[in-house]
Amino acid sequence: MKRGITLASMVLLGVSLLAPADLVAQSRDETVIYGLQSDVQNWDPPNSVLRESIILGYNVFDHLAARDLKTGKVGPSLAVSWKNLDDTTWEVKLRQGVKFHDGSPFSARDVKASFDRVLNPENKLTARGNHAKIKSVEIVDDHTVRFKTDGPYPLFVERLTALVMQSEKVMKEKGHEWMQENPIGTGPYKLVRWNKKQEHVLIRNEDYWGPKPAYKYVRIRIIPEQATQIAELISGGVDIIKAVPPDQMDVINKSGQARTTISPILRTAMIQLDQAGRAGANPFQDRRVRLAANLAVDIDSIIKHVLNGLGDRVATTVNPMAFGFDPGLKPFKQDLAQAKKLLADAGYPNGLDVAFLRGQAWAEPGVVQTSDAIVSDLAKAGIRTKARMVGEVGPFTNLVRDGKADPMFEWTWGYYSIFDADAIFFDVMTCNQPYSVYCNKAFDDLVIQGRSTLDAKRRTEIYAKAQKLIHDDAAYLYKWSLRGVWGVSNRVEYEAPRDEVDRMWIVTPRKK
Amino acid sequence: MRRYIARQLVQLIVVVFGISLLAFAILHVLGDPVLLLLPQNAGKEEFERYRHLLGLDRPMYVQYWKFVSRAVLGDFGKSWYADTPAFRLVLERMPPTIYLTLAGLVVAMVIALPLGTIAALRRHSWVDSLCTVVAVAGQAAPIFWLGIMLIIVFSVRLRLLPASGYGTWQNFLMPSFCLGAALAPITMRLVRSGVIEVMNMEFIKTARAKGLAEGRVVVKHAFRNACIPVITVLGLQFGQLLGGAIITETVFAWPGVATLTVESIRNQDFPVVQCAVVLLALLIVGVNLLVDLVVGFIDPRIRAA
Repeated sequence: MKRGITLASMVLLGVSLLAPADLVAQSRDETVIYGLQSDVQNWDPPNSVLRESIILGYNVFDHLAARDLKTGKVGPSLAVSWKNLDDTTWEVKLRQGVKFHDGSPFSARDVKASFDRVLNPENKLTARGNHAKIKSVEIVDDHTVRFKTDGPYPLFVERLTALVMQSEKVMKEKGHEWMQENPIGTGPYKLVRWNKKQEHVLIRNEDYWGPKPAYKYVRIRIIPEQATQIAELISGGVDIIKAVPPDQMDVINKSGQARTTISPILRTAMIQLDQAGRAGANPFQDRRVRLAANLAVDIDSIIKHVLNGLGDRVATTVNPMAFGFDPGLKPFKQDLAQAKKLLADAGYPNGLDVAFLRGQAWAEPGVVQTSDAIVSDLAKAGIRTKARMVGEVGPFTNLVRDGKADPMFEWTWGYYSIFDADAIFFDVMTCNQPYSVYCNKAFDDLVIQGRSTLDAKRRTEIYAKAQKLIHDDAAYLYKWSLRGVWGVSNRVEYEAPRDEVDRMWIVTPRKK
Repeated sequence: MRRYIARQLVQLIVVVFGISLLAFAILHVLGDPVLLLLPQNAGKEEFERYRHLLGLDRPMYVQYWKFVSRAVLGDFGKSWYADTPAFRLVLERMPPTIYLTLAGLVVAMVIALPLGTIAALRRHSWVDSLCTVVAVAGQAAPIFWLGIMLIIVFSVRLRLLPASGYGTWQNFLMPSFCLGAALAPITMRLVRSGVIEVMNMEFIKTARAKGLAEGRVVVKHAFRNACIPVITVLGLQFGQLLGGAIITETVFAWPGVATLTVESIRNQDFPVVQCAVVLLALLIVGVNLLVDLVVGFIDPRIRAA
């Protein structure tokens, strides 16, 4: 027994000695705390595909251009202006007097180095594909660069918001390995410390070229469990969390300690119908059946009653925030009689049975419940589905990519944060793309036309035509664009960002 | 004794080999990791290039042999996800999990030993019944539920403890209680039945007959003998405890190796999963070996056999 006691006390002693103490003394009043569900793999944003990396990157690095959260338009950041000299040449003027966190000045050399780094296939950076249309970057003078593109590249300006500017000096002197854990940016905050899977501590960059952040410190805490995140928010351990599930909004709003804030986000949900027959012959290859599916479902009431209003009805796959969205195009209205008639015309007077590949709420809140509602509406018209559930996102996407999905399957698309119709048309709706089961030559032609001109007016017209086409053809079962829910402590003032990038430097203390 | 240890060591190698084979096989069944490493809109060439880069285009036995021959040197390759050596990643995250399981073990003992003993000595009394109720309730309550309840009571309502995190002693209280509570019931039942059995033994009668105080009889004579099955079971339960750590770590945002493993499985980060599985298996087998030695130390009869 004595031995037992000694052992127990040794364990306790060991535990207390070895547990690391918090090193940086920050006062809670000077700190804003942000909760994330999972950690980043590195501090090198072009070397990551995670949204968390984009978010953290924004707080420490700057991009050439940035989105204005109020207008939704892309405006200046490290670049002050840009213009296209011809169809394939862009000239960009850079901001002067900007310094990296290590004190070295930011110049055209850093821009060239940042793009060259991501474009060089040998560097194996995952963001390469996003910028592959850029052929070369030339330095004109210290604060002017010229980009050559491979053909007209209308997404050029959009994509300037997608690459962080890193320092040429750091790349040369410190190298890739070092950069994975040591971000040297020009952004509003500097990284002080990263305890992996636990927390990041940032400190205000007092030399920042932009407006001075209100909080001196940012702590980013990694809290995997949603219920714990909400408990932390209510008990004051965290100030801002994202991706609050619809059914938890009340818990937060009634706590008196925190509230929720909602924003439309750049993600559209749909059910893909295998028009192209990628997984073999199926009823959805007939337009009448696809149209019947769209007419069978009362999407508006599902948004209202199942999603608690957290969605915006769309006529096609194009998100209202994306360039090219046509607000004039009206979504389908439920019409069961017409749906049944179409099915009968298509040769299914007694309805039909079809397999439906379903997943979990990985990127789409409440998808299990909303799909249940859709399934029951479809059955009323005679489209009887047989669900195949897949529990993990990896295997689910594998099935789709390999053409082994069912004739209908759930899908959402986040546009890779490119606010442009092209970003969903090309990847999700053109022939032979890994995640597309729609193939229509006329539509493909429009998409190619749209990405081959820099004329915004012309592009708008092309995309209006394209949307009309896929709407009339009922390419997929169209659902809604998503709204995100954030939880915000009553200590701070913060609005949900429409591009899902949480910027800690705009958080301010709440006036009492 | 030496032969006994040698035999245990051989078993250890066989077990670890088996586990490495399993870890290797299961991950390859799960699907294509490259899919999660690249953006969804990456082209076909990009996929092929990455697959080649990671050696995934080579035959399975070549991949496995490469893995094993390096693993014995502690080289499990680089994490595909984090771009750092898997071994370092796993090792870094090992201490929090070990502290948590040890603390959980301590909590379990602190609950189970006194309660189990009292229940045995007051058999069929209300104390015994109460202990049974507590045990059943404890065993029935899922760890994640208990964890969230603790958070709601102590963090949200009473505001006494931090809801999650790692680093201070306050952070230890709820997770270790949570984990300990899951292990306590079975331990308590074992202590109870052990003590009951021992109390009927001849040597207890002898101890009483020679006039020892009852407390001394229980602590000195009964308890030590009742401990043997308890220690054995605690050793066996160590694996369970690590399993419970996965949930506890997730609920309390504990930066341990259990969550790292689950996350790596989700990300299909082969090197990290393989490294974690092998090291955890070593740990479990090591603990069991230790338990066998301790039991042998307490009970000379086992050593002889």
